[in-house]
Amino acid sequence: MDKYKVKNNIRRLRFNYDEMTQEQLAEKVGVTRQTIIAIEGGKYAPSLELAFKIALVFGVPLQEVFSYELEGDEK
Amino acid sequence: MSYQEKNITVSLFSHLLIVGYYLSQLFQMQQTGGLVAAKVFSLWAVVIVGVIIVNIIGNILTHIMLSIVHAIKTRSEHVEKYVEDERDHLIGLKGDRVSYIAFSIGVLIAMLSFAFGQPPLVMFCLLILSSILAEIISDLSQLYLYRKGF
Repeated sequence: MDKYKVKNNIRRLRFNYDEMTQEQLAEKVGVTRQTIIAIEGGKYAPSLELAFKIALVFGVPLQEVFSYELEGDEK
Repeated sequence: MSYQEKNITVSLFSHLLIVGYYLSQLFQMQQTGGLVAAKVFSLWAVVIVGVIIVNIIGNILTHIMLSIVHAIKTRSEHVEKYVEDERDHLIGLKGDRVSYIAFSIGVLIAMLSFAFGQPPLVMFCLLILSSILAEIISDLSQLYLYRKGF
C-alpha cells in the first residue's frame, strides 16, 4: 500500500507574511515553537483544529497550507 | 531543548538516582544477611515517598532555574510562559503507554519469579524495581519522541 504523508507550505507562507518568525506563529496559534518546528519539518502532523488555526493566521484555505501526498513526491 | 524536554531530563535523573539508591540498599541487605520483610517494606516506603518528593522538588527547581536563566539571557523582568500544547500531551500519553507496557512486563517477571520458587520478598522487590524502571523507560521514550518527532 502506498504511504502518504502530510506536507505543508508553512515556511513559504511565513516568508510571504512579512517574514513571520516561528515564535510569532507559535504565539498566534497557542503552541510552542518546537511544535511549529516539528510541523514545518514534517515530523508532526497537527490536529485538525491546529491546522485550521494556522490557515486562519495566514488567511488562506486549509489546502493551501497542508496537503496529503505520496511520500517522496515533491511538488 | 524545550521546557518539557528539560523537565523530563530532570525527572529521568531523579528516577536514576532513586533506582541507584534502591539497588544499593538491596545489595547491602543481601550482604548483611539477606532480605528481611520489615527492612524491604520500609525501603518500599522510602522509595515511593522519595520518587514523589524528588519529582516535585525537581520540577520546582527546574522551573525556578529556567526562569532565572531566561531573565539573565533576556535581561527583562517579563516572566516566560511555558505552554503545554497538543504535541506535549500526545508525547505524554505515548510515554504513559510505554510505561504501562514496561510495568506490565515487570509484574509478569515478578510473578514468574514467585512461580519458579523464589521467596515472596523477591517478587515484591522486583515489583518496585519494575515500577521505577518503567518510569525511566517512559522518560527515555518521551525524550526520543521529542527529538525524532512522530
